[in-house]
Amino acid sequence: MKELLRIKDLHASIGGKEILKGVNLVINEGEVHAIMGPNGAGKSTLSAVLTGNPAYEVTSGEVYLKGENLLEMAPEVRARAGVFLSFQYPVEIPGVSMTNFMRTALNAKRAYEGKEPLSAKEFLTLMREKKKLLELPDKLNNRSVNEGFSGGEKKKNEIFQMAMLEPCLSILDETDSGLDIDALRIVAEGVNRLKTPQNASIVITHYQRLLDYIVPDFVHVLADGQIVKTGDKNLALELEEKGYEGL
Amino acid sequence: MKVCKGETYERVFVNEEVRLCIEQEAESHVKIHVINAPFSITVNQLGEGCQTEIYGLEHLRGEENVTAETHITHSVGGGRSKQLIKFVLDDNARGRFIGDLKIAQDAQQTEAHQTNRNLLLSETAEMRTQPQLEIYADDVKATHGASTGQLDESALFYMQQRGIDKQKARQLLVNAFMKDVIETISDQYSEIREQLLNAIDGVVE
Repeated sequence: MKELLRIKDLHASIGGKEILKGVNLVINEGEVHAIMGPNGAGKSTLSAVLTGNPAYEVTSGEVYLKGENLLEMAPEVRARAGVFLSFQYPVEIPGVSMTNFMRTALNAKRAYEGKEPLSAKEFLTLMREKKKLLELPDKLNNRSVNEGFSGGEKKKNEIFQMAMLEPCLSILDETDSGLDIDALRIVAEGVNRLKTPQNASIVITHYQRLLDYIVPDFVHVLADGQIVKTGDKNLALELEEKGYEGL
Repeated sequence: MKVCKGETYERVFVNEEVRLCIEQEAESHVKIHVINAPFSITVNQLGEGCQTEIYGLEHLRGEENVTAETHITHSVGGGRSKQLIKFVLDDNARGRFIGDLKIAQDAQQTEAHQTNRNLLLSETAEMRTQPQLEIYADDVKATHGASTGQLDESALFYMQQRGIDKQKARQLLVNAFMKDVIETISDQYSEIREQLLNAIDGVVE
């Protein structure tokens, strides 16, 4: 199995406060890793640091994506190299249409891969095809990015963007929060259909519920900035039953 | 100049300084856009049921220094006015908006809205906003809002996370900020409107 991501003794802080205190994790192609843990454990910090959010500072440690030093890359370069974050709180961008946003993003990635930009027609065909996967309405194209979307639509829109960009590493940050059961099913099915032997996902969640739909190969418990326990999918069930304090 | 009863005066000025003093007769309509030029527009609604719309968009760079002024008086009742003035300021640019709005005692059932939004793209750009409202009638609907801010960092990061470089992301946000002013240009000036939209955007439809 080919290694996709390697995190070595990663320490990170925000506003001078250390949140990640030595995270180690190796992810191979084709794997789904769930990261669970109590509030404030550092789950969202990990996703922010992997994607290069400027609000966070990496104080020590290393991260490699396919052997390349991820921490040296600008956020947009990480994205083009295939790191995708499904945001816990997708940002509304009034005045920027989904079409314009998505086409700019996709063509930036294609340029990085040495490919020609898609024509308007090819692009719109692709949009239509991928929207079906998430059962998103056609009118989405002309709407501003996430503006006025319901909680469920925002999360579907994240997975739709994931479908468009075909990342090698997807990080789903609390993608289940705020979703009713139908939206959860659609989102999870979308994620499952995008799974290939070459890509991998990190699923960050509080609850076992999402993992009924997206079945992980590994479950890690993050507590106080470190991975304190790793197991298979049964660990999630155990956590659901006993809580984090039962560890 | 005078806009006669029931008539419409509509103009779009691009890169052209505007000094106008307008008297409106009853039921007349004034709609003015000024894009990238200083302006001073004085309007007095002398007849009932007038409508006045003023839109300004200033995208300033380098050492540019631009003042936009509106002086609107509702002298009689039943009139409406709407103002939307936006500045985007980069480098060492200086912008100033002076917006006087007066609703006379006899101007009952007036509806007046004044909005001034400004975007600062550099630490050294500067914007001064001086809205001044004098309302002497009691049965009116008047709103005014002024805000000056910077680009939304979370929106920038969101776009970067999708592979859009920071410069392009900034450009998309600035264009989005400016677009709604241009979109208020009516079909009569659709050619200018589309030119302006194309200049700021490469929309796929």
